Amino acid sequence: MLQIQDVIRAYLPAIVFVVLGIGLGAVFASLNSVLGPKPKHARRATAEPYESGLPSEVKKTMRFGISFYLVAMLFILFDIETIFLFPVAMQLKAFGTFALIEISVFIVLLFVAFIYVWRRGALEWK
Amino acid sequence: MTGLLAQATTKGPPINWEALSPFIALVAGGCIVLLVGLARSAFIRRQVVPVLTLLTLGATAGLGVWQWDINEGIVANAMVVDNLTLALTMIFVAGGIAAVFLSWRSIASAEAGEGEYYALMLMSILGMLVLVAANDLVVLFIGFELLSIPLYVLCATHMRREQSLESGLKYLIIGSVGSATLLYGLAMLYGAAGGTNYGDIAAVAAEMADDTLFMVGIGLVLAGLAFKASVAPFHQWTPDVYEGAPTPVTGFMAVATKAAAFGVIIRLFVGPLIDATTTWAPAFATLAVITIIVGNVGALGQSSLKRMLAYSSVAQAGYMIAGVVVTTQLGIAATVFYLAIYVVMNLAAFAVITARERETGLGDDISSLYGLGRDRPFLAWPMTIAMLALAGFPVTAGFFGKIYLINAAVNNGYGWLGVVIVVGSAISLAYYLRVVAAVWMREAPAASTSLSAVPIMAGGSPEGDEAAYAAGREPGADVGRVVSEDFGEPSIITSGPRISQPEVIFVAVFCALVTIAFGVYPEPLMDVARDAGEALQSLR
Repeated sequence: MLQIQDVIRAYLPAIVFVVLGIGLGAVFASLNSVLGPKPKHARRATAEPYESGLPSEVKKTMRFGISFYLVAMLFILFDIETIFLFPVAMQLKAFGTFALIEISVFIVLLFVAFIYVWRRGALEWK
Repeated sequence: MTGLLAQATTKGPPINWEALSPFIALVAGGCIVLLVGLARSAFIRRQVVPVLTLLTLGATAGLGVWQWDINEGIVANAMVVDNLTLALTMIFVAGGIAAVFLSWRSIASAEAGEGEYYALMLMSILGMLVLVAANDLVVLFIGFELLSIPLYVLCATHMRREQSLESGLKYLIIGSVGSATLLYGLAMLYGAAGGTNYGDIAAVAAEMADDTLFMVGIGLVLAGLAFKASVAPFHQWTPDVYEGAPTPVTGFMAVATKAAAFGVIIRLFVGPLIDATTTWAPAFATLAVITIIVGNVGALGQSSLKRMLAYSSVAQAGYMIAGVVVTTQLGIAATVFYLAIYVVMNLAAFAVITARERETGLGDDISSLYGLGRDRPFLAWPMTIAMLALAGFPVTAGFFGKIYLINAAVNNGYGWLGVVIVVGSAISLAYYLRVVAAVWMREAPAASTSLSAVPIMAGGSPEGDEAAYAAGREPGADVGRVVSEDFGEPSIITSGPRISQPEVIFVAVFCALVTIAFGVYPEPLMDVARDAGEALQSLR
């Protein structure tokens, strides 16, 4: 038969976690309004989620070219994949032929992706 | 330090290239298909690319047969290629081949680009293979994502149709929640076991069975995999996604994804977690009951065939859990057997839906089947056989599938689960027979009563596009024409013109024949399933 204290003890970490989480969150949320600077007149820019001094020039609903997104995403993809090449390049002698073959396979796959992206016209600015 | 590192890693992990060959075939095939799909020629894109996809799948299956009975860990024991992996590979390949045939003239593959469409399908199958071969938590997760991400895209390939996009987005969001849950669970298992290899987990499973961390890990992993297998109460996405996705993709998803999800459930739960059975089996058995009830009751009121099959797939998942919870080789064999016949039963139904979707303007509504029995025997019989098999009628493979599952359940003290399966099947008759009745006992609507369908067509509806595309015209090209015509003589009537689509009818008839063949003589398939069950040697 489990004693009620045992049950509470078993759940103590979880209870502490929840109480701390709620407590800390509440404290920080309220501290901000107590200690934070209060402008005499509320400005438009201060209500924005990412205010950094200057009021934004464009509306939130502004449409921008999908090419920005595409190029940025492709850049990140290829950029991150080149990171994998560095450690292997540094230690190639130690790793031996196996690593060379592995990284060649990796580069071939990367190259396939590159050809695909290029031929599909994703690199052309439209 | 560097010297030590160098010494330790000079040799790569031992790789059995022969056992790895089915995986390599899929990777290479996927790359080739993607690149060939870039060709400008419409002939190459529309005909050569699907053929290359079929060749890749055929090669994968052939290499799998070649490696039969290998049963060993490959790539430093991170993956296991045994008869269970290979039997499931055959199921994935079968689902993939049927999906290629169904997609051949589909508008979805043309809109997304054939190269991308088929390459994504191959990558998804590769993910399934990796998933069921995984012997390591990290590999498991890679396989899980490789399976899921192409499917999210495939669901949305019918790009000009809002429902398809909605389906893809829904699947992406809910699938990501499932992935996150799974990943959290895997992290906890790793934390409890101190290693990611299944061997490390198996070593501690017995003593950790009551450990909170371990139990939470098992629970979260269970929930994450239940999302993929559409086990209630994690099934809510299933009807919406199945309905919105292009029908060939739905068919592929219904059979192959389910097989993959059950493959990994078997591999993980009946593998390293076998010593913690007392922890997870009651939960799993409860889920089975909930799933059977929710699936069967949910399917009753559906008029969309794809939604109905979605709920039916939920119910079938419930039946198959019964084969997993008993944790015997017999149970695993029964589950693999059921998965295999589930593929053919479902694909026959999806092939007929695809065919009718192209011929009529009714989409996947049950009324698209009206009057099939009288003038379209090659569509009517496969649908009838598929429905009867799903319900578990004798002389169809579905009967033996259920017999084996119930037998396995009863043999290991889960008699009550067997009873639930029987009750569930009884409920399921209501909606399966409704389809059969629609095929045989309803008249095809005459041209005069089909007027209401014409304005929908005239609006350039997706189904109209699908029909037009399959008939060889450009999508949307007939929009103006139908509008300008006198409504008294609609050019496309509801019962639909016959469109030449031999490959779809071939899939329907072939799957129906296989369903009957294994219903009369199930021994060959049962032998394969038994081999798969015996791959898990820790079991009785």
